[in-house]
Amino acid sequence: MLLAPPVLSALLALAVTPYRVGVGWVNAGLSLLPVLSALTLWSRLLSGEIVTAGRGEFFRADALSTLLALCVSVVGALAAWLGPGLGADDGYDAGQARRFRVFANLFAFTMLLAVTTNNVGFMWVAIEATTITSAVLIPLHVNKASVEASWKYILIASVGIALAFAGTVLAYFDFVNVAGRQEAALNWTVLRAAAPSLHPDVVRIAFVFLLVGYGTKAGLAPMHTWLPDAHSEAPAPLSAMMSGVLLAVALYAVIRWETVVQAAVGPAFTDRLLLGLGLLSLAIAAFSLLAQRNYKRLLAYSSVEHTGLMCVGLGLGPLGAFATMLHLVNHTLVKSALFFLSGRVLRRYHSTEIARVSGLLRVLPWTGGLFAAGTLAIAGLPPFGLFISEFALVRAGVAAGRPWTVALVLMLLAVAFVGVVGHVNRMLYGTPSSGVGAGEESVWPLVPLALCLAAVVVLGLTIPAPLERLLAQAAEIAGK
Amino acid sequence: MSDAFSQLSVLGSSLTLIFGLILLWRRGVPAYISAFAAQSAVLAGVAAVVAHFGREAELYWVAALLFLVKAVAIPKLLRDMERRFGTERELQPYVNTATSLVVAGLLVLFGYAIMRPLVAVSRLPTRAAMPLAMALVLVSLFVMISRKKALTQVVGFLMLENGIALLAILGTYGIPLIIELGVFLDALLGFIVMQIFVYQIHDTFETIDVEQLNRLRH
Repeated sequence: MLLAPPVLSALLALAVTPYRVGVGWVNAGLSLLPVLSALTLWSRLLSGEIVTAGRGEFFRADALSTLLALCVSVVGALAAWLGPGLGADDGYDAGQARRFRVFANLFAFTMLLAVTTNNVGFMWVAIEATTITSAVLIPLHVNKASVEASWKYILIASVGIALAFAGTVLAYFDFVNVAGRQEAALNWTVLRAAAPSLHPDVVRIAFVFLLVGYGTKAGLAPMHTWLPDAHSEAPAPLSAMMSGVLLAVALYAVIRWETVVQAAVGPAFTDRLLLGLGLLSLAIAAFSLLAQRNYKRLLAYSSVEHTGLMCVGLGLGPLGAFATMLHLVNHTLVKSALFFLSGRVLRRYHSTEIARVSGLLRVLPWTGGLFAAGTLAIAGLPPFGLFISEFALVRAGVAAGRPWTVALVLMLLAVAFVGVVGHVNRMLYGTPSSGVGAGEESVWPLVPLALCLAAVVVLGLTIPAPLERLLAQAAEIAGK
Repeated sequence: MSDAFSQLSVLGSSLTLIFGLILLWRRGVPAYISAFAAQSAVLAGVAAVVAHFGREAELYWVAALLFLVKAVAIPKLLRDMERRFGTERELQPYVNTATSLVVAGLLVLFGYAIMRPLVAVSRLPTRAAMPLAMALVLVSLFVMISRKKALTQVVGFLMLENGIALLAILGTYGIPLIIELGVFLDALLGFIVMQIFVYQIHDTFETIDVEQLNRLRH
């Protein structure tokens, strides 16, 4: 029920030529099923049951998987409801709408597969497939910029992911060397249990490959170079899926391996690497944010910033892991909402240059208002949830006895704050650019986005008990 | 007999590495494609050797698939592409031939350094060849960052995949078949999408020189 609806939608869109609006609506309806089944997984988890399926526990949904499945399915549903091909004049022709429906659904499917399979080899296959399915959609409007972005994306991400495969092979090599060949050797649960008997040197080498590999996909610096291009040139719904959840899915892969490696060689080694890469990403992103002239790239660099932050959190022990999980949920909600909103801004102003957009609050009062709220949220202001998760992260840093890391993080967050808020400020106020009409076209697509932001406000005020338990369980998996 | 196995695996791995090095000193795309096809054929051979001596029946399937996909199908698609952009050769890479070869030599040494702990713990007769596979991975990475044509980068990437496949075959006698099938599917689809993009680059930029891809900065 989690995995089947996206495949059905994709097949339907593939089968019906030429594209019909009905396909889009069926897709939108079906996209709610994964959300429902993720919620079911959650409730079963809270009653103490870890759902498994398939031969030899091929699928396994523990707290971490469930959290990610929930995020992916929600953003997938948003993309299905707000994406091209639902009848409104949205700037895409029927062929483009059909391509979007086919590949966006396959993209969602591969992400869901990656987070629910227990087999780390298959997780790799699924994550590699996310690259392919998402890359195809970047040049939905073929022009020089989008072709360039898609080329950089597929090349850099494929190389990264190939290195992650080398890491997987090295870890498997060590397992086979110690325990002999067996069917379930690549199951995360088996690897995790066998970890203490693995050779520390081999595991360390494997982890470097895995971190560089999946880190490339997660947008960690210095392997992030493809990300601003791909996320800014992609159509808005795809940007939302890539920035909102694909980065989180790649980070999920890092977390899975981190736990195995920690069990084998202790936390000091992985913590050092994660903190280093996290801080570097944060630094590069913060200063790039200051220099941005393009608002979609601004959002993309902000994703690098927040992935870096999550990576730092992972390096700060159990408290940090909890902060990371909370931050992941917050970031997913805010960033995907912001990318959908940026799509509406782009449709009205026909430009992604910050300098060409002014008076947004007067031209598109609702979109502009939500964009402003989202910006304040992403910059980490209260009462939004990101403030709480960043605060939790800082507290974890102090508790872990890393005052310098904390100081550096706070400084870089301040730089990023100035970058994001300063640029968006310029877009919101001022006289509207000439030739840009005022007034919203349709307000209903804003409702789900407003709900996302409202959810983040709720998370900033209080964490509901069921969610807190899910986050705590996920953090326990990640932080051990 | 295990002696012959060990020597055959080292011989095969050395050959794959040498076919990888060809990318550094030849300039014509046809030579790259032939080198890749030959490398893939040798890789399939190594898989068959390991299948025979290691008594892993599954690996015969892998060997057959490797041969069909990477030594026959992909080179054919590459040649089709090459015919379309026939006049574009890798004339001025970012790094010249002499420097490239020196760098490659260092990378091979580095491959040995990385793999030392693995070779030390392994008891397999194929262990001596594992550093060569890692060296091929590193050299392919270097090819990808030092060459300018999109097509050369694709061949570099395919060789990188070969290096990792070789590592898996030598180090573990092959990963489980179901994963292997997934990897093949990904590799093939990934290649097809890359191929589409190369055509798109050619159509929008009227060249496949990736130096032209410099619109997106900061």
